[in-house]
Amino acid sequence: MISANAALPGSYDYSEVARSVFIAVAASYAALDLTGRVSAASGRIRLAWLSGGAVAMGLGIWAMHFKGMLAFHLPVSVAYHWPTILASVLVAIFASAVALYVTSREKMGTVEATTGSIFMGAGIVGLHYLCMAAMRLPGITVYSPILVACSVVLAILFSLIALLMAFGLREETRWTIPRRVGSATVMGIAISAMHYTGMAAASFFPASPPDLSHAVSITSLGNNAIAIATLIVLAAAVTTSSVDRRARAEVQRLNQDLERRVAERTLQLEAVNQSLRKEIAERGQAEEDVRRSEDRLRLAIDTIPQQIWSGPPDGSLDYCNAQWRSYTGLTLEELKGEGWQRMLHPDDRDRVVNAWRESVATGTPYEQEERHRRADGQCRWFLARGVALRDSAGRIARWYGSNTDIEDRKEAEARLRLVIDTLPALVWSKLPDGSADFLNQRFREYTGLPMEEGLGWGWMNAFHPENRAEEEWREAFAAGQPFEKEARMRRADGVYRWFLLRATPLRDEEGKILKWYGTTTDIEDRKRADESLLEAQNKLAHVTRTHAMGELAAAIAHEVNQPLTAIVTNANFCLRALEGGIKNPHELRVAITEIANDGTRASAVISRIRGLLMNGTPRRKETDINEVIQEVITLPRNELSRSRVSLRSELASDLPGVLGDPVQLQQVLINLIMNAVEAMRFSSQRPRKLLIRSAKSSDGILVQVQDSGPGIDPEAARRIFDPFFTTKPEGIGMGLSISSSIIESHGGQLSLLPASQGALFQFTLPVGNGVS
Amino acid sequence: MSEAVGVVFVVDDDPSVRRAIKRLVESVGLQAELFGSAQELLRRPDRDAANCLVLDIRLPGMSGLGFQRELAAAGIHTPIVFITAHGDIPMTVRAMKAGAVEFLTKPFRDQDLLDAIQQGLEKDRARRAEEAEVSMLRERLASLTPREREVLPWVVSGLPNKQIADAIGASEATIKVHRSQLMRKLGAPSLAELVRMSEKMGIASPKTFKPS
Repeated sequence: MISANAALPGSYDYSEVARSVFIAVAASYAALDLTGRVSAASGRIRLAWLSGGAVAMGLGIWAMHFKGMLAFHLPVSVAYHWPTILASVLVAIFASAVALYVTSREKMGTVEATTGSIFMGAGIVGLHYLCMAAMRLPGITVYSPILVACSVVLAILFSLIALLMAFGLREETRWTIPRRVGSATVMGIAISAMHYTGMAAASFFPASPPDLSHAVSITSLGNNAIAIATLIVLAAAVTTSSVDRRARAEVQRLNQDLERRVAERTLQLEAVNQSLRKEIAERGQAEEDVRRSEDRLRLAIDTIPQQIWSGPPDGSLDYCNAQWRSYTGLTLEELKGEGWQRMLHPDDRDRVVNAWRESVATGTPYEQEERHRRADGQCRWFLARGVALRDSAGRIARWYGSNTDIEDRKEAEARLRLVIDTLPALVWSKLPDGSADFLNQRFREYTGLPMEEGLGWGWMNAFHPENRAEEEWREAFAAGQPFEKEARMRRADGVYRWFLLRATPLRDEEGKILKWYGTTTDIEDRKRADESLLEAQNKLAHVTRTHAMGELAAAIAHEVNQPLTAIVTNANFCLRALEGGIKNPHELRVAITEIANDGTRASAVISRIRGLLMNGTPRRKETDINEVIQEVITLPRNELSRSRVSLRSELASDLPGVLGDPVQLQQVLINLIMNAVEAMRFSSQRPRKLLIRSAKSSDGILVQVQDSGPGIDPEAARRIFDPFFTTKPEGIGMGLSISSSIIESHGGQLSLLPASQGALFQFTLPVGNGVS
Repeated sequence: MSEAVGVVFVVDDDPSVRRAIKRLVESVGLQAELFGSAQELLRRPDRDAANCLVLDIRLPGMSGLGFQRELAAAGIHTPIVFITAHGDIPMTVRAMKAGAVEFLTKPFRDQDLLDAIQQGLEKDRARRAEEAEVSMLRERLASLTPREREVLPWVVSGLPNKQIADAIGASEATIKVHRSQLMRKLGAPSLAELVRMSEKMGIASPKTFKPS
């Protein structure tokens, strides 16, 4: 043993030192690692990590110290007071907790760092010196104050460094582990340095054996066990931290993934939302459009100047447009069902309702003219129409209909009908074949035929029996041309009057006759006027003829009286001369000569007048007598129709030609025809017929003109061809005389033949050589 | 112009008739001159020479009636005997109204024509005598002094001298002298004759007769 004053020499087991340093490094690493975990966690987990970390770290630090102390071998046996050891462990844990707490905070300012490092340094110092105090060895421990102070400063300094490093490394980044390893190494060495400085501050002097109560001896096995246990704890702490970190990282990754997916999903949802919103907006627009279109339709339906309605197949009404409602002044409720019937005119109600029922029952379109009462009570005519809308199976789905105001048309119709009915004419329309389908009121009133009796061919009964030849009428209508016909119609009182019937066809585009329209106008007065006109004409003709005769007579008188005057005067002169004794025989002879000359002259005048009447000198040529007749009968046609004489000709077709003057022969024929017409005009005998015949005769041809007049009495017949003989009031008696001369000049003969009726004149003409 | 021998103008378009009439007219000692138309006559210098005109109604160119009007318009009042081959009543009336002497229808009796001509000649003679008297009176009237001319109407109106003197502002004696002078100058044997003469001369009574 060494002297009491001499310090006990200590020696270090360097392998143990190395081990303590390793433990310090490990503990530092664990501390750094745990700092990250504590700062990453929060709440209770943070407290757990803080507690766990502090325990592990404190144990590590303590183990390192204790190991370092164990590495110090004194020549004496050393035991350790275990309650103190336990206290040192707690101090280490406390210091670790402080360190972890400080570094794991979000911020670490100078104050926190300083305070933390002081606490931590104090802890470490406390731990160290508590461990030292736990030593039970036969000796006294003397401390070098400088080294102790140095150790305290180092402890605080190292704590500060450790805290700063831990704070700087708590974020888990890519290069964390290598840097942590580096930092842990630095820190471990620093801690070891402080420890060994503290160890160096202590010197042991042998003394009495210590109180060994509560003291334990640490064997080498215990020593190793402490190291191994500490390392296990640290490893466990680091592993836990690593696992937790990885878990945390996984959670974070998962979180991130989740967040990414949430973000993605959110985006998708956003997009979906967007399109949904758009769709909603579009749908809204579409709905708006539909609504507008409906509004428009409703507006159109309500505004068009038509009354529109519809209803179910049973014939009731469940809709009607505003026009109808406003017209009737009734609401839809009032019009619904059968309610519409209330606005019908009472006189129309049964007819309309029955017709509608029938349409509803049979499904046939409904069309009626009916009176609807307006809100103000006035009734107007409407054309009501309804049609059934059928489904694909042909069943009636709904009835749709409209009412059109036809009041104005009706009024116009009524006016027109009034016009037609009051026209001063009998108006009618007939079907293409001529059967009547309308007779105006005047027609019905005039004839006394009710409509039903006049329709069809009944209208014919209104005509005079003579004008009822149905065939004739049918032919006229069948001809398809506008025509006029004069006919007598019976008035309701039985009196017949002359009417002019005019008919005009109405045709379609193809020219087919759809209908005949016509009027029947009373022409009785005109007819009478015509007759009096005819009479006036005759009178005028008479006057004219008389006048012409007067002129002729004057001419004849002048022409004849001149020579006669000269003759008479000369003759008187001669007589005077003879009475007074002939003083101048020459003068007398001249006078007598002049008398003779004037006599000849007078005769010449007569001849000239006769020649004048005979229309010039005849020119003969080969003549077809039928041609002459046909030419002639076209001439007096007007006269014939005026006198209502029907002319018929019977001309032989195989007549030889005659040599004659056509103009003279025409003159003869006209003379005969006019005589016949005049003879008939003054007779009441009917019908008035004129027949002209031509035929072959024994030596040539003969022509006969026969009338249906009163004939010529035998007395007159004897003188009929004498000049100046006439049976007519204004006749000059030259016609037949001249005609006779003409025929005689043609080598023929004009004669009056006895006839059963009327007068029959005949002239003959020899064939070829008729020259007299 | 000789009053013993009448001159007859015959207008007819028929020469034979003209010559016959000339013969007849001359057989009773009258003179006849012949024309074929009115125009022919109008070309004669002294159209007034005839004492009587025998005129055919129907003439070439101007008709007889038209010619009658023409002559009257020209102041020639020769008496006209119309002859016509074919006359009617209206024609006759017109002719007679216009102053024709006679209207004969051809052929006429010779005596009828000669009578008509004679009548015409007498009418012509009277006409000429009257014309002669009027012209003589006008000559005499021209010989009156202005004062006598002034007094004449008063005298003709039958007023006594005193009143005439009052009316024209002269003495009764003067009027008396004027009266006898103008009656002498005009050759009026009496007041009645003077009045007749005045009528012929166309002298009217004084318009301003103021009874005193």
